[in-house]
Amino acid sequence: MKSFMLKCGVAAIALGLSTAAQAGKSEDTLSVAFTKELENVDSYFNSAREGVVLQRAIWDGLVYRDPATNEYKGNLAMSWKWIDDLTLEFKLREGVKFHNGEPFDADDVVYTVNFVADEANGVKTQRNVNWMKSAEKVDSYTVRIHLKAPFPAAIEFLSGPVSIYPNEYYAEAGPSGMGLKPVGTGPYKVSLVEPGKHFVLEKYEGYHDSPKGQPSIGKVDIRTIPDVNTQMAELFGSTLDLIWQVPADQAEKLATMDQFTVANESTMRIGFLTLDAAGRTGEKNPFTDIRVRRAVAHAINREALVEALLKGKSKVVSTACFPSQFGCFQDVPSYGYDPEKAKALLAEAGYPDGFETEFYAYRNRDYAEAIASFLNAIGIKTNFHMLQYSALRELRMKSGVPVSFQTWGSYSINDTSAITSQFFKFGKLDDARDPDVRDWLDVADSATDPEKRKEFYAKALTKIADQAYWVPMFSYNTNYVFTNEVSYTPTPDEVLRFVEISWK
Amino acid sequence: MARTADALLEEIHGPSPAQLLRRRVFGHQGLLIGGGVLAVLFVVAVLAPYLAPHDPYAQDLLARMRPPVFLGGDWDHPLGTDHLGRDYLSRLIYGAQVSLLIGSVAAVISGLIGTAMGVAAGYFGGRVDMAVTFLVNVRLAMPVVLVALAVVALFGGSLQVVILVLGLLLWDRFAVVMRASTRQVRSREYVTAARAIGCSTARVVLSEIMPNIVNNLIVVATLEMAHAILLEAALSFLGLGVQPPTPSWGLMIAEGKQMMLFEPWLVTIPGVALFALVLAINLLGDGLRDVTAPENRN
Repeated sequence: MKSFMLKCGVAAIALGLSTAAQAGKSEDTLSVAFTKELENVDSYFNSAREGVVLQRAIWDGLVYRDPATNEYKGNLAMSWKWIDDLTLEFKLREGVKFHNGEPFDADDVVYTVNFVADEANGVKTQRNVNWMKSAEKVDSYTVRIHLKAPFPAAIEFLSGPVSIYPNEYYAEAGPSGMGLKPVGTGPYKVSLVEPGKHFVLEKYEGYHDSPKGQPSIGKVDIRTIPDVNTQMAELFGSTLDLIWQVPADQAEKLATMDQFTVANESTMRIGFLTLDAAGRTGEKNPFTDIRVRRAVAHAINREALVEALLKGKSKVVSTACFPSQFGCFQDVPSYGYDPEKAKALLAEAGYPDGFETEFYAYRNRDYAEAIASFLNAIGIKTNFHMLQYSALRELRMKSGVPVSFQTWGSYSINDTSAITSQFFKFGKLDDARDPDVRDWLDVADSATDPEKRKEFYAKALTKIADQAYWVPMFSYNTNYVFTNEVSYTPTPDEVLRFVEISWK
Repeated sequence: MARTADALLEEIHGPSPAQLLRRRVFGHQGLLIGGGVLAVLFVVAVLAPYLAPHDPYAQDLLARMRPPVFLGGDWDHPLGTDHLGRDYLSRLIYGAQVSLLIGSVAAVISGLIGTAMGVAAGYFGGRVDMAVTFLVNVRLAMPVVLVALAVVALFGGSLQVVILVLGLLLWDRFAVVMRASTRQVRSREYVTAARAIGCSTARVVLSEIMPNIVNNLIVVATLEMAHAILLEAALSFLGLGVQPPTPSWGLMIAEGKQMMLFEPWLVTIPGVALFALVLAINLLGDGLRDVTAPENRN
């Protein structure tokens, strides 16, 4: 009865979609849905996961990190070496051409690095590029990148968000032109951009011998479909071949159907609560009291959240970073689920009957509600506010908020500097403002000795956990659902790699 | 004995007005159904703490989305549980409180504003009338949902804000209807008589005009109450109305929406409740108009 109703509904929806392009193996076209609108395809001018996915398909970096082994391999560079703590020299690959026919050489690297490293050009996530000072051409296929300060994670960043643009084309087109007609060296070239709505990628026949591998599927057709139910209906109606970021409950149901494959992978994204320990929202803010912060940490049943809501490969997290990241020290003080102890701590702090606070969140409304409800259970009454990401970020930067449910995916950079240093070095999003933590992170970020880095990250992370500045809760996972014609093994970094997808 | 006396009186004089009204009320099916459903929902809302089998806020993450009894669930949760494992029946019952509270308070606020303006315009006419008509036009030019969205986005959603916003936005129909009815009644002989013997304006309005237009007021009030309940559900559905964890039917529909394809009952149960409540109020309003309208009095 239920499945009959489901089929009727799906048939009705599919009928309505009969004008949509037919997808699948017979057309050599992989149809994919994006949930969010991507503001600009130019990868330096968006901060969305969708942007990372397109970036990896359209452009290449100097270096590539094999997601399976975490080994760095040359991509547009053949080899590299540290000249000193502040200088990296790259030997570039010869014979590579951009999608528009422009040959790739040292000028492209120099132009791209100098452009993005200049803060005036307004690259959206400065952290990704502001460690570079400039680039210098040695000869046509040799380039040096100069750093502002020693930055051991340089190769990791160069294998991730820093992709190389064609100098002549970019000088002419700029970020907005690049966003409308992107040109790179990557495995897929772009044949259509309808901003925020529709992107069509085609296999780049002249793709160089890259560690990314050669593209197999001829055409990738991406449409923005915000509603998950519509995405699933299109998947049933065969107008979509692959959807991702599918919520756990729906993925569980889809997994019981024979015609789909559900693949679950963990991501580097972690979910945490920020608490206003520095008293930015007012000195009398209860969260300035360490006992209140610890009470919050004890109030939340992380195991239940992971088991019942996130499911899949999600794990309980007790550090302010993702466990696989370099320097993410795990042996920190942790807080077990203990509502009685939480109430006792609140009483000790002078709130025997709890208190009322504003509670902010921007994504996963259901998780946010569950978390708020754990706080309600120990007597902290929450006024629940669900805001857009940009609005909440703005509010936090301006005046701070008492409690917010945040997540951070570190741009899939496998280094603690991409998360802990992002938030605990007195930036506008730092609610702890602890000078010790800042100083230790400074040492860890710039030390060239890996052991020293580990030692100082451990000190900083231990203090963050001990003081309960953040309440880290869980790591995210993501579900990829695709038809049985599609063959794909996702990687644990939330990046959908079209180059690794093929037809069965 | 008394009964026969009544029957005798009726034979002589015909039925008394109260008897006529009673007959009209009990002969009107829509009114009875609407009033009955509304009365039941009202009782449920008032007795929520005694009727709800569970705490509507108690979450149990390990018992999420249990199906209702008629889809194979158990009697511990007759209507199943929601996405956080909260008892659906209890949330539905407490949700009735929210809906009825918002509906009636918003209708009272807008009724007071609208009636004052409408009666003043209809009674005094002239400049007062022009001013009120202008205000009504201004108000009609603003789309309610849009204004409500903007205000709620500015001040944040909460029960009080939603009630106030709706109360301050839905007075237009009261003003229009009250103005028209007051104009009609104002020229009647008894009003002229009252003024001629020197009654004060307040007395004329309150004891001569109001009793004769109150039936219209009741009808408009029921319609606006239904309107307010639907708007609250719409705002909550969009995430701008009542905020979680307060149970609101609109919010319940929004929360169930994600699972619509696989667990449609998460949406249909609060949807049916909302449908029944609004239908009942509308039936009641329609019925009240039918039994109180002057043309039916002959």
